[in-house]
Amino acid sequence: MRELIYEIGNSLRQNRLRTALTGFAVGWGIFLLIALMGAGNGLSNAFMNSTGEHISKSITVEGWRTSKPYAGYKENRRIYLDKKDLDYTSGAEWQGVISNVISATSSISVKLLLDGNTVDGSLVGKMPEHQEVEKIKITAGRFINTQDVAEQRKVMVVSTSHAKELSPNNPEAVIGQWVSAGSLAYLVVGLYYHNPNDYYRSCHIPYSTYKGIYDRSDKIEAISFNLDGYKTLDDYEKFEKDYGNAIRRIHSVAPDDRRGVWINNGYVRNINSSNSANMLNTAVWVLGLLTLVSGIVGVSNIMLITVKERTHEFGIRKAIGAKPRNVLSLIIAESVVITAVFGYLGMVLGMLACELMEHTVAQRGVNIGFETIYMLKNPFVGVDTAIKATLVLIIAGTLAGIIPAWKAARVKPIEALRAE
Amino acid sequence: MTLIELQDINKTYNNGQPLHVLKGIDLSIDRGEFVSIMGASGSGKSTLLNILGILDNYDTGTYMLNGKLIKDLSETQAADYRNRMIGFIFQSFNLISFKTAVENVELPLYYQGVSRKKRHEMAMDYLERLGLGQWANHFPNQMSGGQKQRVAIARALITKPQIILADEPTGALDSKTSVEVMQLLKQLNKQEGITIIVVTHEGGVANETDKIIHIKDGMIGQIEENTSHNAWGGSVIK
Repeated sequence: MRELIYEIGNSLRQNRLRTALTGFAVGWGIFLLIALMGAGNGLSNAFMNSTGEHISKSITVEGWRTSKPYAGYKENRRIYLDKKDLDYTSGAEWQGVISNVISATSSISVKLLLDGNTVDGSLVGKMPEHQEVEKIKITAGRFINTQDVAEQRKVMVVSTSHAKELSPNNPEAVIGQWVSAGSLAYLVVGLYYHNPNDYYRSCHIPYSTYKGIYDRSDKIEAISFNLDGYKTLDDYEKFEKDYGNAIRRIHSVAPDDRRGVWINNGYVRNINSSNSANMLNTAVWVLGLLTLVSGIVGVSNIMLITVKERTHEFGIRKAIGAKPRNVLSLIIAESVVITAVFGYLGMVLGMLACELMEHTVAQRGVNIGFETIYMLKNPFVGVDTAIKATLVLIIAGTLAGIIPAWKAARVKPIEALRAE
Repeated sequence: MTLIELQDINKTYNNGQPLHVLKGIDLSIDRGEFVSIMGASGSGKSTLLNILGILDNYDTGTYMLNGKLIKDLSETQAADYRNRMIGFIFQSFNLISFKTAVENVELPLYYQGVSRKKRHEMAMDYLERLGLGQWANHFPNQMSGGQKQRVAIARALITKPQIILADEPTGALDSKTSVEVMQLLKQLNKQEGITIIVVTHEGGVANETDKIIHIKDGMIGQIEENTSHNAWGGSVIK
């Protein structure tokens, strides 16, 4: 093996310019592949991020007004979900598909007051699981926990913008303070991140506290849960039909009355966006590989010339005992070394290009009113991609070397010796 | 003891017009002989040498080398026989230009799978014996013709072959160096008992050998015993 490397080093040193030109073709291919991949990842990350703040794998079911008369009921009847729906949702039928079932309350508007500063707020009862489902980012303190719910504590998690208005000098100081909300006072236990451009902001209090004080009925405003195991739209649509109709049957709502029992289709958007991210990823691979192909053809071409130039040398080698397989492995190894070394260089430069994108394009966002959209987010390639690219390189190098090597191995020593 | 036994060797080249190059060659060479094959260009002497060196194949007849039938060998087998049984010396030296003298000499052992250290030692040993110890790390283009041919001879000797085939070994050398190279071959033959076959068209070179085989139009003309080295009236290398 050491001999082979030494031999290759020798022959590459002999032909610096040729080696450099060949290497450039491959390096450029890999560079483009990695840079494109990074940009593609950045694009889909940014896309997932802008849509992903409100959607996840979770589904929300809400009751509203029926759109048609059914089972002896008039249309426009207000449907309220209740414990029956909750039991059905978390029941055996959907075991393994539905998880993390939680219910949400309606909201109530109050005026928050702290040390003479006031701000409008709307109280909403929440379960600890809502943090995950709604992707709430806690910046200080904590979110509602199970004990808060169990003991119906009067605690509250407010948004960062509430905090800023209640305590302009030191927003985080509101944690641990009792803030009046209407006729009651709540202890602030945490702050969550609120995009200042986002209109909607609520003050989270424990679900049980809300139900105990503001809404003693067994009505449930909405049921949220996580859905797992559906990859395609068809699968999901079947779920929505089966599940939705079951809930509609409980409330005597027509099966096709989507307004009566409404199912948030965030999951569809999730499937769609991950599908388009996959397509983007595939497109980038295809483009990158096509670029790489031109590099491989370049290497193959150069190796053919090399073989022609070195025919006499191979003749000498064969005369003194080189077997066809010795010559074959020499050429293929040379080809692999060129592609691997320069490909690796291209890969490193591609990673640097990704880094450059992160520091330039990815930092510039466009404000579209209620949120800031970034063109790119984390435009990097993963280790798995780097490993795949390396494998592609080695295979490419072998492919590029095969035809020239085969030619060299086949030439008769007597003809090779005659060549000059 | 017979080392080389050729019986009715025929060879025809088919390049458009068939060209019958060797027309039934019968030849036997004993171990330890120092033989030259002489002939004009186109006489078939190079083809004969290539067949002897297993660089080319023949159409009909039999070629026995050291008791082994050399016929229809695979490339791999032929390479192995060449490597172990035959040492080549060429007119144009055929050293690999980007390898140093010692690396060139090592190369046949590399293809035998001899370890790097061992073959380096052996190559250095042969270079020393040919008086090229100080030139071991020079590249061919830094050496004179005579030095290059001696490197080539070292490369031919290193595998301890049965036979050394020299194709116009002095063709590219001046007369003084030619004499030195022929003296060296003669010495190897006498002292080490190596069988040497020299192909040449130069009377002076042939006269240094003990037996001269004349080849003409693809047939063996005359075999001349030359132990007294008086062929062509004691012709010398010009």
